[in-house]
Amino acid sequence: MSTEQEQLQDYMRLPAEVLYKDELEALRKEDTGRIPAGWQMSPRSVLTFIAGGMAGKTVITPKYIGNTRLIEMAVATLVTDRALLLIGEPGTAKSWLSENLAAAIYGNSGMVVQGTAGTSEEHVRYSWNYAMLLANGPTPEALVKSPIMRAMEDGGIARFEEISRCASEVQDALISILSEKTISVPELGKETSARKGFSIIATANTRDRGVNEMSAALKRRFNIIVLPAPSDLETELSIVKKRVAEIASSYELQAAVPADEALLKVVTIFRELRSGMTLDKKEKVKTPAGVISTAEAISLLTNSMALAASFGSGELTDGDLAAGLQGAIVKDDDKDKLVWKEYLDNVMKKKGADWRGLYHACKEMNE
Amino acid sequence: MSGATVAGVHIFGVRHLSPGGARHVLEYLNELQPTAVLIEGPGDASAEIRHLTHAVTKPPVAILAFTEDLPVRTVLWPFAVYSPEYQGMKWAQEHGAEAEFIDLPSSVTLGLQDTLRQETGGRPELKPVADEQGEPAEEDVQEPESVYSRIARLAGEHDYDMYWERNYEHNASSGAYRAAILAFSAHMRELSESKERSDQPREYAYNALRESYMRRQIQRKIEEGHQPEKIVVICGAYHAAALADLTDVMSDAELASLPSRATKLTLMPYSYYKLSTMSGYGAGNAAPHYFQMMWELMASGRAEELPHLYLSSVARQVRGSGTHRSTAEVIEAVRLAESLAALHGGSAPTLRDLRDAAQTLLGHGDLAVIADSLARIDVGTNIGSLADGVSQTPIQDDLNRLLKRYKLEKYKSTVASDLALDLRENRRVTSSEAAYLDLHRSVLFHRLELLGIHFARKVPSSQSGATWAEHWMVQWSPEVEIEVVESTLLGETIEVAAAYVLREKLLECRTITEASALIVTACECAMTAQMEESSRVLQSLAVDSRDVVSIAVAARELAKIIGYGDIRKVDTAPFIPLLEELFRRGCLFLLDASGCNDEAAALMISAMNDLNTISLEHSEIADTALWLQELLQLAQRDDRNPRLSGFACAILMERAAIPAGEVAAEVSRRLSPGIPADLGAGWFEGLSMRNRYGLLSRMSLWEQLNDYINALEDEEFKRALVFLRRAFSTFSPREKTMISELLGELWGVNTEQAAEILTGELKEEEAKMLDDLNDFDFGDL
Repeated sequence: MSTEQEQLQDYMRLPAEVLYKDELEALRKEDTGRIPAGWQMSPRSVLTFIAGGMAGKTVITPKYIGNTRLIEMAVATLVTDRALLLIGEPGTAKSWLSENLAAAIYGNSGMVVQGTAGTSEEHVRYSWNYAMLLANGPTPEALVKSPIMRAMEDGGIARFEEISRCASEVQDALISILSEKTISVPELGKETSARKGFSIIATANTRDRGVNEMSAALKRRFNIIVLPAPSDLETELSIVKKRVAEIASSYELQAAVPADEALLKVVTIFRELRSGMTLDKKEKVKTPAGVISTAEAISLLTNSMALAASFGSGELTDGDLAAGLQGAIVKDDDKDKLVWKEYLDNVMKKKGADWRGLYHACKEMNE
Repeated sequence: MSGATVAGVHIFGVRHLSPGGARHVLEYLNELQPTAVLIEGPGDASAEIRHLTHAVTKPPVAILAFTEDLPVRTVLWPFAVYSPEYQGMKWAQEHGAEAEFIDLPSSVTLGLQDTLRQETGGRPELKPVADEQGEPAEEDVQEPESVYSRIARLAGEHDYDMYWERNYEHNASSGAYRAAILAFSAHMRELSESKERSDQPREYAYNALRESYMRRQIQRKIEEGHQPEKIVVICGAYHAAALADLTDVMSDAELASLPSRATKLTLMPYSYYKLSTMSGYGAGNAAPHYFQMMWELMASGRAEELPHLYLSSVARQVRGSGTHRSTAEVIEAVRLAESLAALHGGSAPTLRDLRDAAQTLLGHGDLAVIADSLARIDVGTNIGSLADGVSQTPIQDDLNRLLKRYKLEKYKSTVASDLALDLRENRRVTSSEAAYLDLHRSVLFHRLELLGIHFARKVPSSQSGATWAEHWMVQWSPEVEIEVVESTLLGETIEVAAAYVLREKLLECRTITEASALIVTACECAMTAQMEESSRVLQSLAVDSRDVVSIAVAARELAKIIGYGDIRKVDTAPFIPLLEELFRRGCLFLLDASGCNDEAAALMISAMNDLNTISLEHSEIADTALWLQELLQLAQRDDRNPRLSGFACAILMERAAIPAGEVAAEVSRRLSPGIPADLGAGWFEGLSMRNRYGLLSRMSLWEQLNDYINALEDEEFKRALVFLRRAFSTFSPREKTMISELLGELWGVNTEQAAEILTGELKEEEAKMLDDLNDFDFGDL
């Protein structure tokens, strides 16, 4: 047991079902609701797992902070054995939500197809072990099943990440899978039918241009839920705080978790740049070309912590924050640099004494 | 029998706009077969029940009570087809039972409101109208963290409406519904009563008064010979507990001591839009049309089909607006809604579940695609109607008559429509009524506008010159009905009321501008008597006025009426002497008024423009000779605003009222060396405001200007620059090019070179010189 735990600690990142093993077990134990076929727990418990709450005496931490109604809709969708499509700006916790849903419902969030421009139909359906195929001809042993096919056989949840990055013919392969709920293997003269509980959670990005727009036929087979950017400062602040602490502990960063004040500053800057307006809605702000998501804020803060730990005193200084902000905001060199400079001089400079240190550090960094 | 009170009377607590409540009330009435149905509503409106339940009456309708004298206060009791009270009345009528309203009469309600208004020194704490029906559920609107939202949260619902719909509207068992609602409101009352007694003593007292009066009415009904157990009282759930015990009954003396105002009652059509909270009134529910669908399905015993009906209606709307959605998506939406309901342990989806399902499936996650369709299905555009002549005020009758006469009845709809009027005579029809149909319509619309009745809104026409064309946006709404009813205090007919309003306005009128605006209004409203009266008012105001600017505005308006009055069939002859007088006054005070600063000069210039236009267009009325003479004086004076003097000169030049030689002399005088910059250049600015081509064609003028500028000292030059820059800023690029050509000729450079220098980029040293100018102290310029 202890060796297993040591091994687990070597992984960079643990899947949700391992990370929250205790919570899932507690929920399963306390579950009183009706459990749909193929599910590990009742829909209400899934809801509690994601939105947070109590299971007996165990505290369930909230996994998705924000609109619980959206989670309800996602869970209700999966109860009706419909496929779920989560779309939103980058960094709105689409993949995070899909992983946690799969972990709670199926107990396994690892059945993933990671969509890229290079994803082919074989990744969605099945392919062959060619050595065996050549040696013995088509046999069940030579068949390499895709995660989706394995989930079908098992009555579980498959995940399809970044579906809009795949070529449209690959997306099309999903259409018949979703409507027929079978994959036929003509070479073997048989077909795999999905067991009860099978579903797909796909995620897609609304921001990137030049990716493959999904066809109406495919869209029609999904229940589409749009995940918004956090609606207010407090929500975003609590998301950033929770995730930064989690990441810091799993990467064993040797820096102190940033003070609330630093978090507040970063989230404020991000929200103002994202919405194109100061928080008090009095001033217009130019928005940079890149994505200014909550996830960026989290990675910025962990970056700055790493900087502070490796090259600094371990305390997060304004200089570390400024370096992180520079990297997160200025992506398209010339334009973003001007946007950032304008923001510094027009908005941040006027924010008062608390901000002065950060202002000077950013100013220096952006020169 | 369960639910019978101490006295044996049956109390049925409801939410006022609730299909579930209506259904259970009907079942209860059918089971009990009472001889009297008593309803929470204004006691003096019982006679209206007959009209409310009339076969032709189509809800939503409302009872409107208004005070007979000013200030007008109104109070409304709206009813939808799914109001339990409305269904109760219907039942009573069909089964020969007596139906009666038992709440305080509207006279007392409004009297109490007035008293409260005086005490609080402003708007009464009491919410408008229907809130006062004592609906507890509506109070969460004012207190965000109220008991109601806490209940919803504890029940795991997102808002109180969801909680209510899930637990009460969907409650199919009649007895359980009534018992649950009674227990709920009793507990609610216990919780909030003491708080209300201390925090909102007025509201508490008001509710106590109402309940005591209702008990009195129930008592009276028993004394009239109805068996207590054959009486059913339908009231807001909040009051149910208080009506059970009939011991504390309001006495005659107590009733007589309550404040009261003389009121009148009328029925009026209402609309679902108004009923929904979107339009501001606190009472009502957010989705009247949705609840109507629920009621209709319940009535035919198919309540479980509501999700199907709702979502396919939305899909149909979405398709109608050009977005394709398949039946398969509607099916999945129904499944999602039911799955969402199951997640909350509900038996059927609530409106919120249906809306979210619609957004996910029919909007593909995006609310914007379906928002319009949702609003149409949730709120609906239904508007009620009453039988002709059912308790209407005289002014409503008059308006209906006029609408019929001018063929405007089809515009009496909640959907806005555009109406283009051509005020000219239609020569293809025989009767004069038909020939001037559009003119009559226009007069009616203007009168309604004057009365503050927002039925027709004038759309500004792009073709400003065409006085015969008018565009109106016509839209009927219950608000319009209320406004009509309110104007009944001003007169019995639209015409009399409009005349009254205009007379009141004339009495209050203190300035010439106001008076001339009222003359225009009187003309548009075709009110001859008021036109004469207003011209008298204008005349008397004008006698004392020396304000050329407002005299000019008034004269312009009058001139417009005189010029185009015949299109409105208005006799403009009485205005001619008035215009003459105004014009003369304008001329006489021109010189005086021209001694002003630059700010006032801008207004003066537009006044001079107006007067000049009048003298040109109405030369038979206006004293042109006097005008020109005054202009000449102004042009020659050095002690007036130089810009105005220059402008006067420009007008004279344009009208050829000043010989060319004199202009040249004047220019050289004004622009001679040694004249301060603000006088010289300011004068030139005025001169350049009119008739530019005339200026451009006079080479000598530019020579003089050139010499003048050359002769200026450095400091003076900088001052002159300000004026000249302002003068030339309004010139078009083409005109600027022409000037540069002229100057090029003067300086002997080739025209292209000159243009190049003028339009090219600044050299570094030039830029520096301009920068230095920024530091220049312009003083009082």
